[in-house]
Amino acid sequence: MTDQSGVLNDVRQGMIPAHIYNDKELFDLEKERLFSRSWLFVAHESEVPQAGDYVVRHVLEDSFIISRDEKGEVRALFNMCLHRGMQVCRAEMGNASHFRCPYHGWSYRNDGRLIGLPFHEEAFGGEEGFKKKGQTLLPAPSLGVYNGLIFISLDPNAEPLEDFLGDFKFYLDYYTKQSAGGIELRGPQRWRIKANWKIGAENFAGDMYHTPQTHASVVEIGLFREPKAEKRKDGTTYWAGNGGGTTYKLPEGSLEDRLRYVGYPDDMIERMKGQWSQAQLDVIGQDGFMISAASLFPNMSFVHNWPRVEEDSDDVHPFISIRQWQPISENETEVLSWFAVDKNATDEYKELSYKAYLMCFGSGGMFEQDDVENWVSLTNTAAGSMARRLLLNGRMGLLEDGGNVVEPLTNEQYSGPGSTRVGYSEYNQRELLTRWADHLERPIEAAAQLKVGMTAVRKTSKSGSASSCVAAEAPIDEAAETVLLGA
Amino acid sequence: MPVVTADLKACQGYANCVMAAPDYFDLDDDGNVVMIKREFPESERSRVTEAARSCPVSALTVSE
Ligand code: SF4
Ligand code: FES
Ligand SMILES: [Fe+2]
Repeated sequence: MTDQSGVLNDVRQGMIPAHIYNDKELFDLEKERLFSRSWLFVAHESEVPQAGDYVVRHVLEDSFIISRDEKGEVRALFNMCLHRGMQVCRAEMGNASHFRCPYHGWSYRNDGRLIGLPFHEEAFGGEEGFKKKGQTLLPAPSLGVYNGLIFISLDPNAEPLEDFLGDFKFYLDYYTKQSAGGIELRGPQRWRIKANWKIGAENFAGDMYHTPQTHASVVEIGLFREPKAEKRKDGTTYWAGNGGGTTYKLPEGSLEDRLRYVGYPDDMIERMKGQWSQAQLDVIGQDGFMISAASLFPNMSFVHNWPRVEEDSDDVHPFISIRQWQPISENETEVLSWFAVDKNATDEYKELSYKAYLMCFGSGGMFEQDDVENWVSLTNTAAGSMARRLLLNGRMGLLEDGGNVVEPLTNEQYSGPGSTRVGYSEYNQRELLTRWADHLERPIEAAAQLKVGMTAVRKTSKSGSASSCVAAEAPIDEAAETVLLGA
Repeated sequence: MPVVTADLKACQGYANCVMAAPDYFDLDDDGNVVMIKREFPESERSRVTEAARSCPVSALTVSE
């Protein structure tokens, strides 16, 4: 394998070897060292509200059944039959008490337990030949939930989800906890773009700089009062924990005035006041900033915007969207885009907010179309040999001597956690790429193997330090403890 | 009323019946069919009969 240390060092200096946006070898390394280790978003609890509900989601090639079992616990089960490896569940979503493998008919409960094994006696010699008891579809090695967002990691030793999120939780609450009810989701819409997955994640994390140019036409037709050039540079970028995003500067006024300005009705404002901490309220009411787009490392993004929806009215309507940049290859990405809305909002609000979302984002959204043209073209150009000679300058906000063009806001100026600056910069893109480099540099430990039906769990790790996901004979409750970290 | 009965010795835990009519059939932890109800009204006949016929080892019988 090619030594990538030069590439990773350049990235840490803010210089980006252009080929990282279309490079097969780097993509293989991302698979091996990043996506096999990091926490990754798979679904929201509101997508599986009832016992038996499930959705099937992917982490690269691995398919997982995200199900709610009969006891109400959320599970993430590797969608591969323990017998000869057929996909156990072939629907995308549904409700089932059992999953039955279509190949030879083994059946599993929705908590993953193997229960039906045709001709167990005759073919396997019963329990003596093949221990059926305690067998379960392989659970995701780590599972965690925050505000109903379900994350998994393929690393059994992943740090707890809440530690990984860190101070980004402060900002996550604006999108996913506007009231005690939390959010409900619609979607996802899925579509594929011929672009590298990192580009979207970087764009949503901190690219306020592209808005006036790329989205000029959207601003011109007057549907948005916000993305004007002079407005965007008054906003901030922030980075906290393992995520960061952008904000808009709000006009003068009280907390209530400012929330009304972006279109929130009074009943929602009241619930926000009851839900958010004083610091969370102060970022809006005192400091005057409203969150917009954001990304959580490595490939999850958020949007909050407030367009005019009806042509004959000046009213704006806010919407929230969650999305994932699911890598397909070094030059192709599946975009999953959900509409999210406060569960306790009125039906009328939910409908208007949904309209606002569809207008801006989602496969037919106006912002979407503008962005994708750039990203596809960038990815194409990054494949060639000339791109290998080019180190892009991703140092916006830094002086040549390493000093800052703009210093971070002080605690007096800004109430939120993390590092926050007014104006255009690429600190957040650098934060993402630095984490990317950290993962790519660090070899992974070999994962434990499960020998289905056999007593020994063989470890492939030479050092012997990898721990088993779930021992073959582990009774189900013990297995559940292993997977439900932080749930 | 018509009834559906299971031959527990024949049942191999395929769960076809459970998929077809989860309100009539379930599986226990050993993979044996458990009857939730036996009798069914005439209006349910086609659904229950379908479920019984879906059993790969003919463990389910519908009788009058
Ligand atoms: S379909 Fe037949 S074998 Fe399968 S569980 Fe039902 S009765 Fe048993
Ligand atoms: S592969 Fe699933 S039962 Fe044989
Ligand atoms: Fe954009």
